[in-house]
Amino acid sequence: MTVTSGSKATSSRRAAIAGREGVAGWLFTLPIIVILGLFLVVPVGMALWVSFSDWSGRGSPFSGDVSFIGFNNYQDLLGGGGLAERDFGISLRNNAWYVLLVVPLQTAVSLFLAVMVNRAILRGRGFFRTAFYFPSVTSSVAITVLWLFLFGATRAVNKLLSYLGVNGPNWFADPSGIVHNFLALFGVTSGPAVLTDNMALGVSYWDWLSGPSVAMTAFILMAIFTTSGTFMLLFIAALQNLSGETQEAAMMDGANGWQRFWRVTLPQLRPVLFTVLTLGLIGTWQVFDQIYTGTQGGPGKTTVTPAYLSYTSAFSNQEWGKGSAIAFMLFVIIVVLTLVQRWVLRERGVSRRRMRAYLPAASATNSSALAVAAVAEKKDEVR
Amino acid sequence: MSAAVAPSIPAVAQKAPRRRRSGPGRKELIARSVVFAILIVIAVVYIFPFLINVATSFKTDAEAAASPLSLVPQTFTTAAYERLFLSSDFPVWFKNSVVVTLFVTAGRVFFDSLAGYALARLRFRGRNLVFLGLIAVMSVPGVVLLIPKFLVINQLGMYDSYSGMIIPLLADAAGVFIMKSFFESIPPSVEEQAKIDGAGVFRTFWSIVLPMARPALITIIILSFQGSWNELTHFIVSTQSPALTTLTKGVASLASGQLSQGSQYPLKLAAAAVMTIPVAIVFFIFQKRILNASDGAVKE
Amino acid sequence: MQRSKKMWAALGALATITAVGLAGCSGSSFSGGSAGATQNAGSPLTVLIGSSGDAETKAVTDAVAAWSSSSGTTATVSAASDLNQQLAQGFASGKPADVFYVSTDALAGYAANGSLLAYGDKLSNKDDFYPTLVSSFTYDGTFYCAPKDFSTLGLEINTDMWAQAGLTDADIPKTWDQLSAVAAKLTTADHVGLAFSPEYARLGAFMAQAGGGLVSTNGKTATANSAANVAGLQYVKSLLASGSAKTTKDLGAGWGGEAFGKGLAAMTIEGNWIGGAMKSDYPAIKYTVAQLPAGPAGQGTLQFTNCWGIAADSQNQDAALKLVEQLTSTDQQLSFASAFGVMPSVQSAADQWKSANPTFAPFLESADFAQGVPNAKGASDVITDLNSQLESIATGDPQAILDQTQKNLEAVVGK
Repeated sequence: MTVTSGSKATSSRRAAIAGREGVAGWLFTLPIIVILGLFLVVPVGMALWVSFSDWSGRGSPFSGDVSFIGFNNYQDLLGGGGLAERDFGISLRNNAWYVLLVVPLQTAVSLFLAVMVNRAILRGRGFFRTAFYFPSVTSSVAITVLWLFLFGATRAVNKLLSYLGVNGPNWFADPSGIVHNFLALFGVTSGPAVLTDNMALGVSYWDWLSGPSVAMTAFILMAIFTTSGTFMLLFIAALQNLSGETQEAAMMDGANGWQRFWRVTLPQLRPVLFTVLTLGLIGTWQVFDQIYTGTQGGPGKTTVTPAYLSYTSAFSNQEWGKGSAIAFMLFVIIVVLTLVQRWVLRERGVSRRRMRAYLPAASATNSSALAVAAVAEKKDEVR
Repeated sequence: MSAAVAPSIPAVAQKAPRRRRSGPGRKELIARSVVFAILIVIAVVYIFPFLINVATSFKTDAEAAASPLSLVPQTFTTAAYERLFLSSDFPVWFKNSVVVTLFVTAGRVFFDSLAGYALARLRFRGRNLVFLGLIAVMSVPGVVLLIPKFLVINQLGMYDSYSGMIIPLLADAAGVFIMKSFFESIPPSVEEQAKIDGAGVFRTFWSIVLPMARPALITIIILSFQGSWNELTHFIVSTQSPALTTLTKGVASLASGQLSQGSQYPLKLAAAAVMTIPVAIVFFIFQKRILNASDGAVKE
Repeated sequence: MQRSKKMWAALGALATITAVGLAGCSGSSFSGGSAGATQNAGSPLTVLIGSSGDAETKAVTDAVAAWSSSSGTTATVSAASDLNQQLAQGFASGKPADVFYVSTDALAGYAANGSLLAYGDKLSNKDDFYPTLVSSFTYDGTFYCAPKDFSTLGLEINTDMWAQAGLTDADIPKTWDQLSAVAAKLTTADHVGLAFSPEYARLGAFMAQAGGGLVSTNGKTATANSAANVAGLQYVKSLLASGSAKTTKDLGAGWGGEAFGKGLAAMTIEGNWIGGAMKSDYPAIKYTVAQLPAGPAGQGTLQFTNCWGIAADSQNQDAALKLVEQLTSTDQQLSFASAFGVMPSVQSAADQWKSANPTFAPFLESADFAQGVPNAKGASDVITDLNSQLESIATGDPQAILDQTQKNLEAVVGK
């Protein structure tokens, strides 16, 4: 494939590049290229084809009797007027609310924890970090099972709430949206006609504004519980690297702790903040494990996410083209939002080297961000 | 937003010598106790669910439903564990998870460090292309691949086999970047000497550079272990045989009631507890590596 | 500027790798899975089942093993953790299981894409199946696969609570009004009178009793928002509003059997599958079964069934057909029935089954007026959507819910 021609080309050149290194370079990267190519790049190409085809799930999608149907699958989802469009709209609504709540909350909670742990006496630090980080280590399946128990039939959480005099909802069985519920407190139970009569993606504007359902809220709490530890570590690593000088100086200047945090610490944390927000955004648009394990999209379709819908469309309903189309639209959403966020939070005057350091982290998974931080720390030891 | 708001600090103050700490003052003590108290409360919130998890797995079904919050089972029973280990496929799931995790971890450590070293140190044509390709690949969300990954694995004849479960997980771009950035931080002079002595590229990498990369390797080990142990979607699309079910897939089917009717929570929570143990062990062994990474020279 | 150039370079590289990868793979290996499998009389069979539990898995495994040793064809049984997903993967890979369970709502999809062998007319015991079951597995006028067994809904009654409320056998409800009355009598501080899952697969029975149904009898027209269906759901609403009935969700139970077995409800609406669960999980509960009460249009209930699908890509269809004939034979069905509580799909086994299971006879007797669930392609999505709205039936508007369902159903029925 391309690899061999590349190595030939390099070995024939006797310029500044030593031939031995050229060959070795390709050989060293070959396993990664082959594996990622076969299991990441090729699949994406295949999925793209399937999303434009009428393949119904029998035999190969490349066989002669599968035909190209253009944007039909996408049209059905974006303007078909049928159930497919409505389901896609519902899944987007559910996940958008999830993202909207989880990303800011997990960032705020992890930053708060980091600042607090950073202030704690040295002896307690290790314990607190372990306690807060532990949920991030466990598998999403195990946590979901635990959550089903705590918020589900036995209502352990509601028992706790009742000690506080709060009458908890029937978490995983409650499809009502929390924004709607909030409005209902003021007697608003149905929206104005302009919101209820107009639709986007088969869902009325009023329903777009429903907020996450109570069941989804339980998943939102779970996401914060399981991710805040990871991000806390990132923030702690960054906090430790801040110059004490500036803090001291601000102290001398008479700024109180709060002002110091807002005006000195936070601006210095911007690169980490950027990483955390980006990771959060990418992660939260791909909710699948919890739904597959926990609610299978119920109650009332309020926990269906695009990822889960894509899966069920293909594997349960033989709508492979639609499933792939949903996956691609999700892909586009994630890429676009990430780019928008990068633009909004762009940092001027950063050297290219530093930018590159954050680039991988910005598109990696949770754990790799942690690793990037850990390695960044380790460098000092080696030197 | 503009760049960092520069606080108006007089030049004198910047050069001021650091004030010596003459023991914490009273105000400082109060502040610290408040911080401590808040942290304790939050820590309890974070730990309590896991304690409930373990306690419930030793309860009877009836008691789990009646008093979900108690941390001491009234009638201590290991029935859930007996059922799990003696009359279900749980041991098979466990074995599969172990096999996959060991292979994936070993493979990732080797391949990621190889590629990371090449990208950091070796000058070859197309290096930037490979680098950018990796970045592009990393931006593909995993769930997009659910459907096509199955198709590819299937076409390669690896469906429903260990190879189909392991090989696709062997490389991860993030790990390559971690290794790359680490190797870049090692001074090149070390290798130069080896080169002068006439060692080959691989030998230089294997016996000189790699041993220096222990911290980064440990990071990769932890991440690979966690990643493959907790992986679910890949196993959903790469296998169907009960003999190849991993813990995540098995426990998920246990939870969604396809294999058990009703809500046998002690059983499910016992499964969740057991599947958490290995990652917890790895975490506690290496936690100093992860968590104390930032405990550098900061002394109070 | 520099960056965008690099981005394009990367994208170009990706495209190249994709193209090369596809070209490399599309040669020989991507042309598999064409229609019409080669037949090989000796090749072993695989059987994939969506099992309800250990009892069912064991019974099917034993039955297949017995057939295997008498016929000389090797056959292995595996229980799926997610049947639909595994079938889909099997069909896509061109190597599906030879014999497998197919639910009524999955039939149309598999039949439409040619994954299923339409062998119904080749069955020697074809005329023995209940006609309603045959029509459930008929797609485009072709009888595809043999019903393996079936279930209907009935009313389960906790006899202790019944007696405590001062009720006797004469009080077993025959009409909606009587049902409301006994439910109210049975409701105490500790339990409700009646519990049911808020889904079409239970509430549909009330629609049937009112004379409705999601589709017309010939399955060609959508009739979801008929007045009868609205009346059925209105009655359900009135039951919930009275407080003497609750949904399983409100009771924190996974299904009616759990609410019933834990003593949270004195009556529930479930099928004959409840027998196994009561025996193994809730042996202390004493109960009896009655036919569901009649509605304004007479008696009605829903019927559920699965069939034995045979893959069109099976390497050994003849042997698979013989295996299915054996598995649906009268004797074999009776032994399945005693193993995991299903009802035989063949009429010749009815009398024996009733005398063996006197408590459960009402289920089988309900077969005469049982209504199948729609089996058009896409109907399962419509029902999923309907279920999502039925979950909040207590506060919902039946007319609006059914109008929405009608719109969705029109898009898939009669095509």
